[in-house]
Formats: sequence, C-alpha cells, structure tokens
Amino acid sequence: MRNEILLFCIVFVPVIGSFILPLIGSFSKQLRNLLALVFVLTSVVFSFILLPEIISGGTVTINYPLISGISFTLHADMLAVFMAIASSLIGSVIVLYSFGYISHYENQNEYYMMVVLFLGSMMGLVFSGNLIFLFLFWEITTIACWRLIGFFRGKIQVLRADKAFLITVFGALIMLVGFVMLYSQTGSFDLLVIKNALKGNPVSNIVVMLILFGILSKSATLPFHSWLPDAGVAPSPVTALLHAAVLVKIGVYVFARLFISTLTLDVMWHTVVPVIAGLSMLVSAGAAFIETDLKRILAYSTISQISFIFLGLATGNEIGIAGSLLYILMHGLAKGGLFLCAGIVEQNTGTKDITKLGGLIKTMPVTAIAFLFCAFSVMGIPPFGGFFSKYMVITGAINNGQLAIALTFFAGAILTILYLLRVFTMVFLGDLKISSVKEKSATMVSSVAVLAILSLAGGIFIKYPSDFVVLTVQQMLGIIK
Amino acid sequence: MINMIYILILLPFIAGLLIFAIPKSIRKITGFFALLITLVDLGFAVALFNKNIIYSVPWAGFGIDFSLRIDHFSSFIILAVASFCFLITLYSTTFMKDKNNSGQFFAYLLISLAMTNGAVIADNLVVMLFFWEGLLVTLFAMILIGSKAAFKTAVKALVLVGISDLCLMIGIGLTGHLSGTLTMSSINLSLDSTGGVAFIFLMIGAISKAGSMPFHSWIPDAAVDADLPFMALFPAALEKLLGIYFLARISLEMFKLSPASWISTLMMIIGSITIIFAVMMALIQKDYKRLLSYHAISQVGYMILGIGTAVPIGIVGGLFHMINHAMYKSGLFLTGGAIERQVGTTDLKKLGGLGSKMPITFGVFIVAAASISGVPPFNGFFSKELIYDGALERGLIFYIIAVAGSFFTAASFLKLGHSVYIGKIKDEYRSVKEAPVTMLVPMIVIALICILFGVYNPLPLNNLIQPILGERLLEGHNYSGFPSNIMIVVITVVVLIAAFLNHLYGVRKSGSGLGAADHIHHAPVLSYIYDKAEKRYFDPYNIGLKIAGFISKIFFKVDKAINWFYDVFIVKITYFFTGVIKKLHNGHYAMYLSWSLIGTVIIIIFIFIVLR
Repeated sequence: MRNEILLFCIVFVPVIGSFILPLIGSFSKQLRNLLALVFVLTSVVFSFILLPEIISGGTVTINYPLISGISFTLHADMLAVFMAIASSLIGSVIVLYSFGYISHYENQNEYYMMVVLFLGSMMGLVFSGNLIFLFLFWEITTIACWRLIGFFRGKIQVLRADKAFLITVFGALIMLVGFVMLYSQTGSFDLLVIKNALKGNPVSNIVVMLILFGILSKSATLPFHSWLPDAGVAPSPVTALLHAAVLVKIGVYVFARLFISTLTLDVMWHTVVPVIAGLSMLVSAGAAFIETDLKRILAYSTISQISFIFLGLATGNEIGIAGSLLYILMHGLAKGGLFLCAGIVEQNTGTKDITKLGGLIKTMPVTAIAFLFCAFSVMGIPPFGGFFSKYMVITGAINNGQLAIALTFFAGAILTILYLLRVFTMVFLGDLKISSVKEKSATMVSSVAVLAILSLAGGIFIKYPSDFVVLTVQQMLGIIK
Repeated sequence: MINMIYILILLPFIAGLLIFAIPKSIRKITGFFALLITLVDLGFAVALFNKNIIYSVPWAGFGIDFSLRIDHFSSFIILAVASFCFLITLYSTTFMKDKNNSGQFFAYLLISLAMTNGAVIADNLVVMLFFWEGLLVTLFAMILIGSKAAFKTAVKALVLVGISDLCLMIGIGLTGHLSGTLTMSSINLSLDSTGGVAFIFLMIGAISKAGSMPFHSWIPDAAVDADLPFMALFPAALEKLLGIYFLARISLEMFKLSPASWISTLMMIIGSITIIFAVMMALIQKDYKRLLSYHAISQVGYMILGIGTAVPIGIVGGLFHMINHAMYKSGLFLTGGAIERQVGTTDLKKLGGLGSKMPITFGVFIVAAASISGVPPFNGFFSKELIYDGALERGLIFYIIAVAGSFFTAASFLKLGHSVYIGKIKDEYRSVKEAPVTMLVPMIVIALICILFGVYNPLPLNNLIQPILGERLLEGHNYSGFPSNIMIVVITVVVLIAAFLNHLYGVRKSGSGLGAADHIHHAPVLSYIYDKAEKRYFDPYNIGLKIAGFISKIFFKVDKAINWFYDVFIVKITYFFTGVIKKLHNGHYAMYLSWSLIGTVIIIIFIFIVLR
C-alpha cells in the first residue's frame, strides 16, 4: 500500500499543489517559491524511493474503475520511473533557476502555478496506464504550455502561444481518433488489456499513422516542428522546460510506451520513422547553422536531437532503444543547461542576437564553461554523457542493417558540432562587444553549473544509468517479466 | 598489477583536476607538480613494460566492458608517451613560466596524458573511443589558451578532429555489428565488402588522429597560435603514436590487411599524397614553427605508406618511423621553442646567424634535421630505407614519390637551418644567449636517442618494433642492422646530394638561405598552385564549411517554407472560408429567407430521390 500512496503523491502533490501556489503567493513570495520547489522535489524523491521495488522487477499499480471501459489507472514500471526521474530532476533545477530569473517580472503566481502544474501533469502522463487519462494529462500540459509561451502577454507572444497550441492540439485530436480506433479493435483503453488483446499481432497501420500525428506534433518533428522555434519568446526557464526536459519528450515517451511496450509495429515503420526523423534532423540542423537568434538556434538543435531519439526507438533493437532512453536523459540535462545559459546571457546583455554578442567568456566564465560542457554533451563528445547515447543510437541503426540511415545521422552529428561551436564562438569568444556585463544571481549560475556537472558525471559514471536502462529495455521488450 | 593500470589513467587525471584547485599565490609550483606526476607515470610505464595483463569489468552494457590490455605493443606506446610527457613537461617548466595560462596548460597536459594512456591500453573499442575522443576536449582547450586569436584554430581543430572521430564511431559500430564483440583482442574480420567499409572508417579515424590529409589543416594554424610545447607534444609526438598505434592494431590484428587488398593500395595512395603535398607546402614556409608543422603532416604519410604496403619490411619501417618521428619532430619543435624564447620571434626573415650564439640548440637541430631528412646514420635514415624497400616491392610510383618527398624534406631543412643558424645576425639579436638548462636537457636527450636509435638500430628494432609484428608476420626476417638493399641506399645518398646542390643553387640565385627554395616556389604552374594554396583554396576545412553552409541555406529555406505554410497559408485559407461564410450572414431577411428556401428544396429532393 505504501508504494501506491507514493505513486499517487508523485502525480497529485504537484498537480493539486499547483493550485495552492497562487493563494500562498498572495501573502508570501518566499514561501510560494519554496513550496513550488518542494512539490516538484516530491516527485523526484518519491520516484527514487520507488526505485528499489521497480528495479527488482516489480510494478506498482493503482486502479479505480470509473464508467464502463474506462478506469483511472496509474502504472509504474521501469520506463515510467526512468522518465519520471529524468524529467522531474531537470524540472527541479529549472524551478530553482526560476527563483532568480522570474523575480523581475509580473504575474509570478501564474508562472509558478503553470510550471508546477505542467510538471505534475507530466508525471500523470508518464504513469498513466490508460489512454484516456494519458490524453487528459497530455492536454493539460498543452494548456499550461500555452499560458507559459504567452507569459509576457505581448502581441507576438500571444500569437506564438496560439500557434503552438493549435498545432499540438490538432495533432492530439487526430491521435485521439487513433485511440478510439484502438478501442474499437480491442474493447479497452487500458494499455495492459490492449496489449493482451492484440497478442503481439501488428496493429493496423492507420492507427499508427493517426497516433504518430500527435506524437510528432508534440515532439516538434517535421512537418509539425515550426511552433517550437517560435516558442522561444517564452521566459528562458520555460523554454528550457519545454524543449529540454519535458514537453518534447512527451511525444517520444508515448512512442516508447505505445509502439514498443504495448503494440507491435509493422516492419515498415522501422524505416519510415527514421526517414521522417532524418529529414527533420537535417532541416533543423541546417536552420540552426544559419539562424542568428540564440534561443531559436537552441530550439532547432532540440528538434534535430529529438530525431536521434526517434531513430533509436524506431530501430526496435535493444541497443537502439537503450540509446534513446539515455539520450532522453543526457539531452535533457545538457539542453536544459544550454537554454538556462542562454537565459543568463539574454538577461544580462539584453539581446538574443548572437551577431551582437561576443567575448563573454571573460565576464561570465562560469556560464561559458557550463555552456561548453553542455554543448560537448549534445555533440556527443566523451567524457560527457551524450557520447554513449549517440553511439548506441547510431549502432542501433547499424545493427538493423540501415547503413544509409546511420550515415545520414552521422552527417547530422557533424552539423551538430558545427552549429553548436558557431554559437559558442560567437557568443563567448572573440572580442568583447558588450562590456560591463556581470554574471548575476547565484541561483541561476549554480543551476547551470549543476546541469553541466551532471552532464559530465553522466558520462563518467555511465554504469549507473546504463545498468538501469538495460533492465528497462528488457522489461519493455518483454525479455524479462 | 591491476591497480597499476588504473593509476596510469587516474593519477594524471586527478592530478590535472587538482591543478585547478591550486591557489593563485603558489601557481609557480604547478610546473613542478606536473613534472612529478609525469615522472611517476614514467616509473609505472617502465614497470609495466612488456607485461601481459588483461582486465575487464562490466561498464555500459551491450558489450561495452571496461576492459584494458597491456601487452608488448601497448606497453611500448605507454612508455613512449610517458617519456615524451616527462621531457616536454621539464621543458615547459621553464618555457611556460611567465605565461598567464601555464596552470591551465599543465592541467590539460596531465588530463591528456590520462586520456592517451586510457586510449592505448583500452581493449574495448568503445572504451578506446571514449578516451580517444575525450582528447578533443583538451585539444580544444590547449589551443584556446595559446593566444588571443587562437579560438578560430581551436574551433577548426575541434571540427576536423571531431568529424574524424565520428568516422571512427561509425567504424566501431560496424565492427561491433560484424564481429559480435567489441573486445579488440578477440576481433578477427576479413576485408570483404562490409568489413572493408568498417575498416575504412576506422582507418580514417586513425590516420586523421596522426595528422594525415585531409583532416590535417588545423595543424599549421595551431603551430602559429598554440603554445609551442603543445605542438612538440601533441601533433609531433602523442597524436602520431596514438594514431599509428591504432592503425597498426586494426591492420595487423583486427583485420588482416594483405598486399592483395585494394585497401592496402588505398592506404599507400593516401600516404603518398600526404607526403608530397605537405612537404611541398613546408618548402615555402617562412615561419619556423609553421614549416615544422607541415613536416609533421608529411612524415605521417611515410608511416601510412609503410603500414599500407602490408609487407613486413614496410610495416616495420612504418612503425619504426613512428617512434623516430616522434623524437626528432618534438626535438625540432623544442629547438623552435628555444629560438622563440631567447630571440622573441620565429619569423625566418628576422632570424639568422644564431648558430654561434646558441651552439647546443644548433647541434640538436642538426641531429634532428639530419634524422628527418634521412641522412645516415641517424634513426630516420634506417626507418625510411625500410619504407622505401616496402614501397618499391609494391610499386615503383610509390617509391618515387617517397624519394621525391625526401628530396624536398632535405631541401626545406637546409633552407631552415641556413636561414636561422647560419648567415648574418641582426644587430638587435647580438646579445642573444643559449637557452636555460632545463630546456636544453630534454633537447639533448632526444638528440642522443636519435643517434642511438640510428647507430645501434638493433636495440629499438629487436626490442620494440619487430615484436609487435610477431614471428608469424615477420616470416623469420630481421631488419636490424644496415639496409640490405644497397641500391636503395645509393639512390638515397644521391638524392640527398642533389638536395644539397639544389640548395646551393637556390642560395646563389636568391642571395640568401631563406630564398633557397624560391626557384621552386616561383616556378611556372607551381607558383600559381602555391598562390591558391596560400589563400587556403584547398583547405578541406574551408571547402567543407562552404558546402555545409550551402546545404544549410537550402534547409533553412525549406524550414522557412514550412513556417510560411503555418503562419500565412493556413491563416489565409481560414480567413477565406470564414470570409465567405461571413458574407452569407449579412443581416438581410431576404438573404436568410432564400437560404431557408434552398435548404427546404434540398431536403425535399433528398426525401423524394434518395429515400424513395
């Protein structure tokens, strides 16, 4: 029973807590900030407490039947716990960073409420064992994200927020049609029931296609990616949250949950998905190499890296999937760090245009080093964590005999090195163009330092995440029960 | 024993990190601290020499075990790496004393030492790649701290080496896929279609680390921008050792490269191209360090050519050349550093007549330059003769290119020596003194070993080089002693004399030692090519960046088009339809009435026709 309560708390402490935050904020800002962090940390700590039970092969399930065919199900297995830890961990660093970043702006109550609600519903989505509740939490994140992108309330921000909302909701609704078709085939929305009903037979291609609409739009993959660079108008911690930690990983997670753990795909998709991902990666990497707006570059970079995750998952073999899961973690840490560094740069210099920046390594050394560490991790350079995930994903493609696809992603990896170095050089090296700039706010700088160090530790101590991921993949593929 | 292997990696790594923690007030001791660590590392390397240890613990899953192997070959490389690190750290304690970033320099040096040791003793391909590619980080950092404008070179180096390391990654993925294991000592693949592709990718990684074309072009730039000890240690010694070590591992052990394979021919072609183009560029350089750096590229061509011949004599020559080159090239860079520190410039136009002021430096230079030019009885002579012999066995053209390379090598070192150490000294340099003793000692040691390895070459060949191939590959041959093919020796001597005569001709024609190669530089056709090369038209980095930029622009346009679809097209479509519907609701009764009538008619038709 203890584990069930923990699981319930992981989801509902932040979800319900988020609505209390504005009330508390009306009389004490400090307490509100602290509570926001506590709520998010609850998810982290409780997920870690669940870990031993899960690693030993057990699962935790909460099941309350509601109306016919639909029951409220929370189900914790290795994949879910892995994803929950990865996103809530990064989420808490982002909340910490927000203390410094958002303190100059209006509407902080709304900000903290939306961020915590977002992370809470992310937890709900991750642990949902039922398609209807998965969809429900999915849409809550969409709404929270809509408010967060439009947070500054300018005309452009509102437009961009609407764009993100419309594209992701469009995808989600098509996905819902897919869910309903799945229901009509299997008679249930419950993932375990669906899995047992299909008995390993490939699910019909039309269902896969419909669900892919939702996944690709949420994970900002070609051709539904264009809302993500535009969402850079949001406050920096939010863009970090959106891009790195959570939002774009939702699609990827659902892909893993549905198309690997639950359903069996037609062989065709092992080629189609990498091809879509490859195109998405090339287009966005090219755009990142030309773009001059710091946050847009990082957003394109995210789109491009998400493609690597899709590639690994789509290979369907152990090493590829394991690589993708590691990628989710390592990319989350590193990209979160990059966005938060960008936030420090933006706030202290007042510009996001990299052609107007330069030489900041002299005035903001910690930020520069943290940026470089995170960039190395995204490029896949050891001893940083990104190295192993990139190696495993590409090897996954090679093991499938898809040498051409592996080489396309090899080209993408080269472009990654090019555009990230371009950003680093233009922002931090060369002549100092904006003088009298200082690194401000200890919480902000220490947040990026934490992420940079975690990126490094993720590579040196690869054994721990890797051991866990290996077991996760075996559970997902049903190799062990 | 196991602990000793770990110490090879952990000790320099942790010591390197510790340097960052040393407070500024006692920064002066960092050099000595680093020296101590490299000395300890050298001690361990000596103790482990010729031991056989295999060790493995699980690491990242999927066959990626943290496995290490000490055998003859890897312990030899470890020993060489440790020796160079120790000597050059000793040199740097003086050379870097007054530089701002000396603390960082020593820190990166030690971390690089740890990474290099790790890459050499790794027995798992991914573990090796982990350390190997990890060197990118310190490479980037070490160039970056060199000077204010060095960041462009640092980026260039990171991009070029990064790309070649990614090739290595693909190669490792393919190799693991084909052989089902990542443990180097148990891989045994043939060079058929996919195996060949895997080999090519691994080879690109290996030879690029060693500095071969086409991933070479950061080295001459780094020669100008980076600190000199960096050049003497990395492009001259450690990277050569590492790259050629891995090349030998893949072509001798993991894949069985045979002379019949097209890959062997490909390697010889790459080697020959690298030899000739790089040495031609070296010939016309007007800067001490930049000239040396082109030779660092050119000489790697000999090693690739030697190993690529796939015949025992060529492989022995290639490997012998690897260790010889590491010695004389770092020795040459160290003389360059002595000049830079004592005189304040390495610009050949300003130098001259320093031989009498710095006799020991000059002496070291003569030994090292004679070695690189292949003058008997120095070490370079013997390794080159072996390579010539192997190349001749495989094809006359490769031999001719190799000998032509020697001609230009000798010519450019005659030019360099002449313009720096002989001739008239500038008035402002009349008070120049010999370099301090801590800098001279490493130079002298290196020069002495150059002589020793030449005069008494059975010592290195029998104890270090030939055991690498093993009895099976050697087929009972022993290549120590004086070269057996006297004809090749005669040709070599003739070529060297020709280079000397050419030098005399050039000096008489131009009137100075510096201009000794001008008649080649300004020869018809060549001058045009040189002009373009100096403007970096042929720099693969620039070409690659242009291609990447072009492709990126196309993708950027594609992305803009998609953006337009969402931001403009969909909006317009929506407005169009809503506009039409809006017009139909204009508030007039007549309009609504007519809509009702049309609706009624449609319903009636529907009922009568469809439902009847």
